[in-house]
Amino acid sequence: MHIDKLEKNWAGISLGIAGLFVTVILGSAFFHGIHAPSNVETIDSAKLHLSAEFAEDKLGVQHNANGSVTVRMVAGRYGFYPKELTLPAETEITFRWVSLDVIHGVHMPMTNMSTMIVPGYVAQVSTAFHHAGEYPVLCNEYCGMGHAHMWSNIKVVSKAQWEALNKQGGANHG
Amino acid sequence: MNNLSEEERQKILQSSPVGTWALMLIVGGGMVVAWLLMYYGIFLPRGHIG
Repeated sequence: MHIDKLEKNWAGISLGIAGLFVTVILGSAFFHGIHAPSNVETIDSAKLHLSAEFAEDKLGVQHNANGSVTVRMVAGRYGFYPKELTLPAETEITFRWVSLDVIHGVHMPMTNMSTMIVPGYVAQVSTAFHHAGEYPVLCNEYCGMGHAHMWSNIKVVSKAQWEALNKQGGANHG
Repeated sequence: MNNLSEEERQKILQSSPVGTWALMLIVGGGMVVAWLLMYYGIFLPRGHIG
């Protein structure tokens, strides 16, 4: 099969570019531990309200002994619950999301936070917020007529402010 | 093109396609620069998720 020299060159440049991107991503993964979130953990979506972890009184923020924070939230048409949360900046935060009905997505603009929430599974994502401020939490997976109105809000404050709030019991639930 | 002599026409056809090379390098280089800016300028500073 004859392939013109220019076509070979163009294919070489295209493959070279793809190879460069793959090399950068693999470098980040192997040397800096940066990789896509992955968590395979099942849960009965019909019994979340009875579960040990996602019952209504268990939702929100949990302060762990090692200084990190775990956030448990339920996504359901049409909202994320709790609707309002306050979290500390510069702290390792593990989000654990479940859906009580259909597939939802969670996206926080101006951050890299984005994942799908599939019924029957626990979506887990770890991250840290470097800047204080208000972060909207939006559903980015069409889930029904009210999809466009499905959101909640996360307020990120400095760690000192958050600890002061936490002592008053104001940071856990909205 | 019709005004070219056969000798000039052959010279053009056999010479290196500078314009095509320029286009390939501009498009390829632009794509690489844009991707690196997005990756190192936006994605990594926002903090990775895992």
